[in-house]
Amino acid sequence: MKALRRFFVRLAASITRRGDEERLKAEVEEHLAQMTAANIAAGISPDEARRQAVLKFGAVEALKEQCRDDRGLPFLEQFVQDTGYAVRTLRRSSGFSAVAVLTLALAIGVTTAMFTLLDALILRPVPFHAPEELSLIYMGGRTGGRTFVAPAVLRAWRESPAFAGAEAAWGDIALIEADASVVTRGTARVSPGIFDLLGGVRPVRGRLFDASEGRPGTNDRVLLSEDLWRSLYQGDPSIVGRRVTIDGEAVLVVGILPSEFRFPSWNTEIWRAYDFAQPTTNTRDFPIVYVRFAANMPRADALRLAQDAARAADARNAKLEPKVRPLAAEMLDPYYERAVPFLAGGVVLVFLVLCANVSSLLLARLTERRREFSMRSALGATRARVMRQAFVESFVLAALGVVCGIGLAWVLISTARVLLPEALLLRTLNPLNIDLRALGIASASGVVAVLATGLLPAWIGTHIDPIQSLRVADRGGTETRGARAVTRGLLVAEIALACTLLVAGTLLVRSFVNLASANRGLDASGVVVVWIGFERPVFKEPASFQAAVRSVEDHIRTLPDVQQIVWSDGRPPTGGQFSWGDWTSDVPGAQPVHLEVEIYSVGPDFFAFYGIPLLRGRTFQPRDTSHDVLLGERFAEAVFQSVDPIGRTFTFDKQQFNVIGVVREIHHPSLDPHVDRPEIYTAFSGVGGYSLNIRCGNTCPDTALVRQKIRAAHPALTVNDVDALEELYFEQLAQPRAVAALGFTFATIAVLAAAAGLFSVLTYAVGRRKREFGVRSALGASPAQIQMLIMRDGFVVAVTGLAIGSIAAWSLARAIASFQYGVSLNDPSTWLVVFGVISVTTIAASWRPATNAARVNPILLLKDE
Amino acid sequence: MKRASILLETNMAKKDVQQGTLALMVLKTLDVLGPLHGYGIARRIEQISGDLLAVNQGTLYPVLLKLEQEGAIESEWGSSENNRRARFYKLTRAGRKLLHAETRDWTETTALIDRFLAAKAEDLQ
Repeated sequence: MKALRRFFVRLAASITRRGDEERLKAEVEEHLAQMTAANIAAGISPDEARRQAVLKFGAVEALKEQCRDDRGLPFLEQFVQDTGYAVRTLRRSSGFSAVAVLTLALAIGVTTAMFTLLDALILRPVPFHAPEELSLIYMGGRTGGRTFVAPAVLRAWRESPAFAGAEAAWGDIALIEADASVVTRGTARVSPGIFDLLGGVRPVRGRLFDASEGRPGTNDRVLLSEDLWRSLYQGDPSIVGRRVTIDGEAVLVVGILPSEFRFPSWNTEIWRAYDFAQPTTNTRDFPIVYVRFAANMPRADALRLAQDAARAADARNAKLEPKVRPLAAEMLDPYYERAVPFLAGGVVLVFLVLCANVSSLLLARLTERRREFSMRSALGATRARVMRQAFVESFVLAALGVVCGIGLAWVLISTARVLLPEALLLRTLNPLNIDLRALGIASASGVVAVLATGLLPAWIGTHIDPIQSLRVADRGGTETRGARAVTRGLLVAEIALACTLLVAGTLLVRSFVNLASANRGLDASGVVVVWIGFERPVFKEPASFQAAVRSVEDHIRTLPDVQQIVWSDGRPPTGGQFSWGDWTSDVPGAQPVHLEVEIYSVGPDFFAFYGIPLLRGRTFQPRDTSHDVLLGERFAEAVFQSVDPIGRTFTFDKQQFNVIGVVREIHHPSLDPHVDRPEIYTAFSGVGGYSLNIRCGNTCPDTALVRQKIRAAHPALTVNDVDALEELYFEQLAQPRAVAALGFTFATIAVLAAAAGLFSVLTYAVGRRKREFGVRSALGASPAQIQMLIMRDGFVVAVTGLAIGSIAAWSLARAIASFQYGVSLNDPSTWLVVFGVISVTTIAASWRPATNAARVNPILLLKDE
Repeated sequence: MKRASILLETNMAKKDVQQGTLALMVLKTLDVLGPLHGYGIARRIEQISGDLLAVNQGTLYPVLLKLEQEGAIESEWGSSENNRRARFYKLTRAGRKLLHAETRDWTETTALIDRFLAAKAEDLQ
């Protein structure tokens, strides 16, 4: 307690610097005066009295010194002093400081931004209360099952002690009409209790749903997201309690949810109260069910109870069992799970390159200031004191770097949110924000940066033999050996890291280019695809179904620039009906072939519509049955090998199919080879959900407009999706594109940083070695020879770095392999790019210093001496 | 060289004694005599302790500073007997408590050491 009080008094004294010095001086003076007076009173002569008093008092200056140290906190004061000095020094050479601070800011900013991504996409659990207790649950068998749940089962689970709560949600897309515009937004019907189940949801305005809402009569209550409220209704607070038009229906807004709340999908912006527990036989009204496990019951027991409850509620569950998908894992994207850590590794390399750069800058500067340091050590500063001074300078730089870095990270994240929302946020419920954790990482990387950039230069730069250093400094000699070795080492490391990043970056970019330009086997440009649901009982009669189909066609044809319409069940790239098993041809002696196949049901014009060439046989005719099929090339080759399949048959799942034609294979370019499956086509039969493929001329109609037309065509139709086909393909590439862009950016930063490092180090070296070049040229070396000397210096560093970097890249081959498409680490052109970029960079970086060295005039040098 | 180091050692030893006891002496002095300036404290300690402070009265001041920082004493300007401006120190409430605690510790310690030193060989068996 006493010690603490004393610390604070000293801290306060350090900061306020009251007139304590004066006080002590006066006290000492008074003390001596009284002693002198006492001595005089004892009969000693005044001079002698004073002398004895001083003797008895002891060393005044030493005393003052001790009091000075005891009064404040000398360490802190020195630190403040050093910081002030460092700031003045750095300000004096503002160019150097700006470069160093910006480099550090770049390192810290990119690291922080990357961490924010990593955190949102992978590290952080879903942003709900006790997320490990939350799960998506459904009844399934050994081979899978339907993830939606019957109302009776939902009711049973709500009453079961297995769960602390069971609620439901169903995500969809809705049309919102505001003023004159119509936009599509993610929506969800939710049971009112879902917010309590997730926990910690507070509306920004208004209220959440009441438990009774969602039943007929109160199922028109909606909550809007803050983003939607601000963008569509200009943040008008009076919107709560008003009605807005969603899907052509006037619904009542009861509240606004914060923009951080993202559920059940990342893009849900409207929540509508719905009672999923009310009995219905329409599977369209079956929801996805989310439960919170009771904290005090073992999972196995809870699942057994849930199974019993579900079986008792619905006989169809007799052979099924509850399947659980933890909410946290549900949201993990397998691609990002691999890619984001990979990129984070890249960021660490970039961070190291930039730190090495700053480190070599600092070292060059500190060795330049040897005279100052030797002067200070001659005046009595210890090595530790001088080192501390040097270290404080890098501390100041890093502190500035952290501040600028956080700013940069904020800019990067904001840009990413605007430019890459789907690619980055797909399948995460976490908002992408620079939060306290990110700020912590920024500061931590600042600390690492201080240690990484400051320690080595401070150690080497202050290693001074005062006499020799004074001599060398006077005559502007060469670099010291230690500093030279370290600088070269740092440069080699920089180039090696840059080379590794460049290899990875080039492979990522080439993979993306290959993916984007890969032959899909069909013409997707100018095509809009609509996925329409005909599931309502209304369409059971063929006549009413045909009428609805014709009505849709007629309505769509009224849109401008629509050229052709084709129906299909399934379409690329999403795929058709996925079928998996043994396929056996009727060729004598044929073995069953195990294949995963996409089955598309298509109208006869489908092939012409998409420009898929018919290779052999014919396309569908009206009299064809559902067992007459056309084959893709890959399927034909796999099942029939070299035999002509036309007119032959094959069996699958105890059914026989007749081959009437073969068409060109279509491809689904993807990093996941399982996605690109062989395909076969059956005639469009009019069962299930349908894709309406619309080909348009110069401009395709707006997707919201297409939705409106189909809604107008028949009130019972549901529009599941409307998309431009190119965009669907593009979306599939969003992730590889984001990863390639980031990888390429990292490589660029690293290469530029390495080039800048090489340039500054060579420039500095040339400055130090002027005298040597003067002597060389006086002894007859030509400018070209001197120039070669410097260029060779740069190249030795570059080649060493390249060699190490290439080996590093090879050792990372496995990590890179899963991101490659149509290119491998053996690819010569990738290496050509890497070597080319590094060589050009090296030449560019060493050219100026080399020509400067060649221009040294020996006469002028002699004059300087 | 050797002499210098011996001197240094004795100085150090003496200083240790001072650090441990001087603070207590200062507190006791202020307790008995009331507010007092540095010279007055030094003289009082000198009177009682003989030559402990005879050589180096200045060492009193760091002790006063430390005690003030700890809140055991406080000080203000006043005028001395011969009408000069002097800094007067006085005990605070916390200082009085500290004095009691330290005094008790000290007496306990000395009593213990006394007993220990007075003990004869047969007492220890």
